Amino acid sequence: MTKKTKWFANGYLTLVFVLLYVPIFYLIMYSFSTGKTMSHYQGFTWAHYVALFQDARMIQIALDTLLLALLSALIATAIGSLGALGIYATKKRQTRNALLSLNNILMVSPDVIIGASFLIFFTFLGIGLGFGSVLMSHIAFEIPIVVLMVLPRLQEMSTTMIDAAEDLGASSWQVLSRVILPAIIPGILAGYFMAFTYSLDDFAVTFFVTGNGFETLSIEIYARARQGIDLEVNALSGILFVFALLLVVGYYLLTQYTAKRQKAGVKRP
Amino acid sequence: MSKPIITLKHVYKNYGDTNVLHDINMTLEAGKFYTLLGPSGSGKTTILRTIGGFVTPSSGDVLFDGQRINDLPANKRQVNTIFQDYALFPHMDVYDNVAFGLTIRKTPKEVIEKKVLRALKLVQLSGYEDRSISELSGGQQQRVAIARALVNEPQVLLLDEALSALDMKLRKEMQVELRDLQQRLGITFLFVTHDQEEALAMSDEIFVMDDGKILQSGTPVDIYDEPVNHFVANFIGESNIVPGKMLSDYRVEFVNKVFECADAGMKPDENVEVVLRPEDLDIVAPDAGKLVVTIDTQLFRGDYYEVIAYDDDHNEWLIHSTNPTKDDQRVGLFFEPEDIHVMRYGESEQAFDARLETYED
Ligand SMILES: Nc1ncnc2c1ncn2[C@@H]1O[C@H](COP(=O)(O)OP(=O)(O)OP(=O)(O)O)[C@@H](O)[C@H]1O
Ligand SMILES: [Mg+2]
Repeated sequence: MTKKTKWFANGYLTLVFVLLYVPIFYLIMYSFSTGKTMSHYQGFTWAHYVALFQDARMIQIALDTLLLALLSALIATAIGSLGALGIYATKKRQTRNALLSLNNILMVSPDVIIGASFLIFFTFLGIGLGFGSVLMSHIAFEIPIVVLMVLPRLQEMSTTMIDAAEDLGASSWQVLSRVILPAIIPGILAGYFMAFTYSLDDFAVTFFVTGNGFETLSIEIYARARQGIDLEVNALSGILFVFALLLVVGYYLLTQYTAKRQKAGVKRP
Repeated sequence: MSKPIITLKHVYKNYGDTNVLHDINMTLEAGKFYTLLGPSGSGKTTILRTIGGFVTPSSGDVLFDGQRINDLPANKRQVNTIFQDYALFPHMDVYDNVAFGLTIRKTPKEVIEKKVLRALKLVQLSGYEDRSISELSGGQQQRVAIARALVNEPQVLLLDEALSALDMKLRKEMQVELRDLQQRLGITFLFVTHDQEEALAMSDEIFVMDDGKILQSGTPVDIYDEPVNHFVANFIGESNIVPGKMLSDYRVEFVNKVFECADAGMKPDENVEVVLRPEDLDIVAPDAGKLVVTIDTQLFRGDYYEVIAYDDDHNEWLIHSTNPTKDDQRVGLFFEPEDIHVMRYGESEQAFDARLETYED
């Protein structure tokens, strides 16, 4: 690569990142502004953050959202990992591809359609809307993500490794617990994190299936933003941004740790 | 004859339309060292996997100790395998890899430790217990795989090219080590290789395979001295193979000359192939030789000279000589009647053995 094209590539990359991050930083900047609107910056204050933390309703919603994300991701990871194992174990190529396609269709179909169909589904079955319905639909749209994260790990696993375990006398259960699961743990972790973040920032599906009694952050922010911009929303965005940052760092450290543990070998007692 | 531990009877294996194993019959006696020798894709691994329980034969029977085990799952068979790609567990260290089979069988911890350390010592990997698999070289991984199988003291050990990743020196050492181990423990080994020297050096009995069939089985000496056909003669060691004609019993004609030989039982004037091993050809003075050739080139191979020469009909002759010769020199080649081995076209191993019966004592 010549110096000139390299300069251009770097410049382009910087521009893209600036464009992506400037709106976020702009939003966060105004969360520290003494004014009431985002028209111009007026001086530093924590007031919006204080107001946010005194807003019991907002805190409750934040905790609900977190609980929803943690719980749905947990269940989705369990079901999705089993699903990936099922697809992996499917001998017939056509059946396997069909299963995988069904999984991928769920990945790419618009949230609006998924949300609407869940709404129809729940009302048809007479299931009341609220935490339960939101949880179920979140689990449902997270499962395909988990499958997609876990399946490659299974596929890159050497098949003779499973043969070797059987050869040494391991039962199917022992093969699964001692050989397959340890090999795909990184994929399962990644699946969990992806599912968690998808749940956190989902708006469309939740919008359809949430009733009056239950709300998530994205729904609440949307509702407030419609009523006119309140800088408390900016403060909330600031906190969420930091939270996301911490998540990424946490995930990085966790993968580093498991990689190291694999490399060093699990110590015997 | 001691009792057979593994028997394959008329085993066929098809994948769709492709026939990978064709009427495989073999009997392995307890405590012997067997080798499956054949080129890549000849079905060696498939035979091992059939015995190990990972491939179900399309037809035919697999017997263990006289019991039919076609339907016995791999984890119930008293057979351990060393896989061609080692198949070690990457998330475990060396110790846990080797201990795997013993922990499955709920062996007490102290016993496991003793056995694992002994097995690692055997494969010269003492001190590597805490290493992770990714920190080992290919040869070291292969030795961990050997230790992992051996530690279970199986009745039959299947080794799929178990020494192929080792350098020459370690390979020779491990050959001796494995052979010694096999004799000490009395385990039956079925060893797969496409290295004919390794097969000749280690085995009690060799099965030569090509294209899903067993072409010949026998002791290394039998197979080397009396190959059943062109393929076997070429695959086991180097050889000079020339077309010839069997004039009558014990008289064969090739390169337009008639020679006395030790073979019989063929039709008069039958077209045959004649094998002469390069180390059976002695370089002598032109008038003392049975053939006269002109030296073309020679290569120094360490313990012998590999000489290439041509006779007056432009047939190439490969000679192993302990003494150097001069290029373009005319020399004689001398060989005994027993050094000539005559092969019939398309003769099966059974027919070959039956014919030998008729004139050998
Ligand atoms: N699962 C399978 N499906 C279709 N064909 C197969 C399968 N497994 C093996 N084969 C074919 O069977 C033949 C024999 O394979 P095998 O692995 O036994 O050869 P091999 O003698 O061990 O060769 P190598 O020395 O290269 O290891 C090959 O032609 C291979 O392509
Ligand atoms: Mg093979």
